[in-house]
Amino acid sequence: MATLIIGFLIGCAFGAILYMGGATSYRRILGTLLLKDMWIIKLMMTAIGVGSLGIYLLDMGGLANMSVKPAYLWGIAAGGAIFGIGWAVAGYCPGTCVVGSAEGKKDAIFTLLGALAGAFLFSLAFPFLESTLIQPANFGAVTLESLLGINGIYIALPFSIALLFLAFFVLKDRYD
Amino acid sequence: MNKDFIISWKAAGISLGLLLIIATALVKPLGVSSQFVVTDGIVAHQVAPQFAESNTYLSKYGEENNWGVGYGWMLVFGMVVGGGVTSILLRRRQPQADKGSMPELWKNTFGPSQTKRYLASFFGGVLLLFGARLAGGCTSGHMISGISQLALSSFIFGVITFGSAILMAKFLYRGRV
Repeated sequence: MATLIIGFLIGCAFGAILYMGGATSYRRILGTLLLKDMWIIKLMMTAIGVGSLGIYLLDMGGLANMSVKPAYLWGIAAGGAIFGIGWAVAGYCPGTCVVGSAEGKKDAIFTLLGALAGAFLFSLAFPFLESTLIQPANFGAVTLESLLGINGIYIALPFSIALLFLAFFVLKDRYD
Repeated sequence: MNKDFIISWKAAGISLGLLLIIATALVKPLGVSSQFVVTDGIVAHQVAPQFAESNTYLSKYGEENNWGVGYGWMLVFGMVVGGGVTSILLRRRQPQADKGSMPELWKNTFGPSQTKRYLASFFGGVLLLFGARLAGGCTSGHMISGISQLALSSFIFGVITFGSAILMAKFLYRGRV
């Protein structure tokens, strides 16, 4: 029960941040994908920069509940390519279409309905896709830490600094 | 002065990063896309239980005890509430260009037809979730949470997704912006 309440509260904050940060804005998303305005990529780089350092600091204390997804090359490559097309066409991703719908944006509601249909289509195609794209070339839940065999904090620290430096000092922004 | 945003990308990025750390410490990282399957599973179990049970993917969700409604589903439900409430409270401060269902950029290029915009939004949504489930995650689960955990799968997803999205956006707006 406590977990459900925590999930709900974290979700509330997540939704509020996405709305206030302009992540549900077609202008911002397409601006980034057209490489005219780097708003969304800088938001993501900052989140990952802060998140990565924090998670691996937690991990040093054994407090991080990691959830690393398996690296099955074909499925991830094909899925990512399909996802990218949908992202550019709709202007929303699964999370931002939920928040956009809550804002009352009708195009976001259509994306949400399409997403439910897409998830259903996937469940129909799953047995076929599992044997062709998901099972082969599956390297399991690999991280850079396990791959390089060094403590994750030594990767996360420079990685975070690099991302934050890129976001704050390198990428220019005409909306800033 | 009327700002072009409610909070800056810096403020949003830092708070999102902190939220991810809190989530990872308390339960697990953020993720959205699998909850669409959970929702489908709940509906399928109500409408066509035999079909739902026979499907390897849907049969995992929507069963009697908790219907698959756990931490992840509550998180997405919270997003509706959190996004909805802040949008009501802060609508006045939201830039005009970010309001409504017909983005200026889209309208200037593809015309004012709402049907066209909604059709594109719908089929975009179909591709989003088909792709996200095939890859095992989306912008939140793979890119934000996954790359933060230095997951190899998420780096691959991030590079390919951004590459494909940039190519598609450039194709849609070729010579028009």
